[in-house]
Amino acid sequence: MNNESDYKDIWVFTEIKDHVKVHDCALEILGKGREIADKLGQNLVAVMLALDAEQYISVIEEHGADKIIYMSHPELKHYHERIFTKIVHEFVEEYKPSIFLFPSTEVGNALAARIAYRCKTGLVSDVLNLELSDEYGENLLLTDKPAYGGNIHVKIICPNTRPQMCTITMGTFKKTLIQKATVEIIKKEFNHDVQSKIKIIGTPTRKDKPTSTLSDVKFVLGGGNGLVSKDNFNKLFQLARLTSGQVGGTRRPILDGWMPEHLQIGISGETISSDLYISFGISGAIQHVVGIKDSKTIVAINKDPNAPIFRVADYCIIADAKDILDGLLEYFTVD
Amino acid sequence: MVNIFVLIKQVPGTHNLEIDKKNGALIREGIETMINPDDLYALELGLKLKERYGGNTTALTMGPSQAEFALRECLAMGVDEAIHVCDQIFAYSDTLQTTLVLKEVFDKIKNYDLIITGSQTSDSSTGQVPYQLSEALDIPLITDIFSIELKNGFVQCQRNFGHESQNIQVELPIILRVRKHFNKPRPLSLLGIKKAFEKGIKKFDFNSLNCPDSIDGCNKSPTRVVKTEKISLQRKNEIIKGTITEKIQKIIEIIQEHGIEKIWVGGAHE
Repeated sequence: MNNESDYKDIWVFTEIKDHVKVHDCALEILGKGREIADKLGQNLVAVMLALDAEQYISVIEEHGADKIIYMSHPELKHYHERIFTKIVHEFVEEYKPSIFLFPSTEVGNALAARIAYRCKTGLVSDVLNLELSDEYGENLLLTDKPAYGGNIHVKIICPNTRPQMCTITMGTFKKTLIQKATVEIIKKEFNHDVQSKIKIIGTPTRKDKPTSTLSDVKFVLGGGNGLVSKDNFNKLFQLARLTSGQVGGTRRPILDGWMPEHLQIGISGETISSDLYISFGISGAIQHVVGIKDSKTIVAINKDPNAPIFRVADYCIIADAKDILDGLLEYFTVD
Repeated sequence: MVNIFVLIKQVPGTHNLEIDKKNGALIREGIETMINPDDLYALELGLKLKERYGGNTTALTMGPSQAEFALRECLAMGVDEAIHVCDQIFAYSDTLQTTLVLKEVFDKIKNYDLIITGSQTSDSSTGQVPYQLSEALDIPLITDIFSIELKNGFVQCQRNFGHESQNIQVELPIILRVRKHFNKPRPLSLLGIKKAFEKGIKKFDFNSLNCPDSIDGCNKSPTRVVKTEKISLQRKNEIIKGTITEKIQKIIEIIQEHGIEKIWVGGAHE
C-alpha cells in the first residue's frame, strides 16, 4: 500500500502502432483522460516510447495532453517486454501518477499487466466506462467492465494502491481535438542494457494479422447443426454473398468441416455486434449466445419450439431452417 | 524429463446467473460449472507435448473445494497429476493476489519447465495472470505460437509477435499462453474417467505454502468489486406465425428494414 496523496496526474500510454502512427485507441483515451484531468485539476500526461518519437508529438498535443514524457531510440522500434516494462515502471516510480490508462491492445494489455504487478496495484481490463466517484472514497476511479461473457457488469475500484490502472477497448471513447496553450515536453535519455531471453532465429517475416471478418459486419448469418449437410451450409454462404452479409456459426459446423474455424461465434470465438443476426438451425447453447447478444436485432429459425435460442431472439420462426434458406435464396437471387 | 504444468480454472457454465440481492455477489451455489473453455486448448497442448517428448503433465487450479471436479476432468483427459490450491484466505483474490499465490506455488514446486495457460477466462475475462506470473517468476512468456518443438532444455517455436512472424528459441522454463483454436481438445474417454477417480489430488493451502502475510485475497486484493449488475437480454420474442411462405416473406421484410437489398453478383466478377 502506498500513500495515495503522493500520487497525482492522469497518464495515458500512447502506443505507437506498427512504428508509423499513434494508435487511434490511445488518442481516444486521451479525450476521456482530458475530462478526468479537468475534473481533478491535474495534468494529462502522455507516455511514449518509440523510434524517432519526435514525429508523433504534434498529434498527441492536438488531442489534449498537458505533458508528454517520451524516449526515442532504435531499440524502441518494436515492443520489447523487458525493456518497455523496465522503462515505464521507472517513469511511474519517478513521477507517481494517480491514474494510468492503456489501450486494450496486445501491447497495452501486456505492458499494463506487468506494470501493475511491479507496482503491486490493481488493473481492470477492457473497461466500458470510467468516472470519478466519491461514493467509496474521495475522487476514486470507478470502472465498469463486463464479466461472465457480458451477462454481468461489475463496477470496480482500486482504493488503496496507486496508480489506478485500466485498459480500454478501441471505440469506447471518441477522439477529441483539444490543443492546450502550453505543453510540457520531457525527453528521457535511453540508457538501458536489457538482454532478451528470447533469441530470434533468422529474419522474421512481416505478417499483418487478418482483421476479424465478423466483429464489424452489419449483417451476420449464423449456421448450426440444423442445416444438416454441407450442401445446405454452402447455401448460407451463397445467401451471404447475395446480401453482403457474413457467415458465422457454432462449433459444430467447424467440426463437420462445413465452415472454417475463424468464423465461430461465441465464447471461444468472435463476439458480434451486427445490426441484424439471423440464425439458421442453431439451438442456442450459452457458448454461442454470449457471442450474439450485442446484435441489435436477432431472428432465430429452428424447428424445435423449445430451442433456447428463441429466448434471446426478437423474432422467432419455428420452421426447418433449410426450407427458409431455400426461400430466401430464391428471393435474393437476381435473374 | 520435461515437467509440464497447465493452469486451469473452473467457471460457471450457465447463462442463468443470479445475483444475491443482499450483497451484490454472484450466487455460486448449485450452479453448473465447467473447465474454462480456453483452458482446454492449453490442456491439449500439454498432453500432446508429453506424448511427443515424454515427461510429466500436471493440471493446477486455484479455487474453492468444488474446483476438484474440474481437476478430475483434467485427469480424465489424461494428465498425470493434479494440484488443487485451496484455502479460505485465497477467496476473492484478484489477479495480483492470484499471481502472488501462484508464485508461492511454483517457488515450492521448483522443478517446472513449461507452464501452459489459456488466453482468457470466461468469467472475469482479464487475461492478466500469464503476464503477471511471467513477472513474478522472472521467466519469459510466449504467446500466439503456431508451432513448437522441445530440444534439450530449449523450446523452438514460431509465433506471431506484433506484425511479425518469428522463429524463436528460448531456454526453459517458460510460460506459454495458447490461443483459441490452437488445436482440437480431446474428448473424455470412459477409461480416462475411471482412472481419474483412482488418482489422488495434491492440495496446497496457505500454511503448506508458507505464504507471507501479504497474501490475503479478501483484504489485500488491490481491486474491489463494489457493484454487480445483471444485464438483461430484453428481446421481443415475437413468434412469427403462418405458412412457410409467409414466414419467409416476414424475414425478407426484416432484412429490408435493415437496409439490406438484393445485390447484383452475376457477370464478369472475379
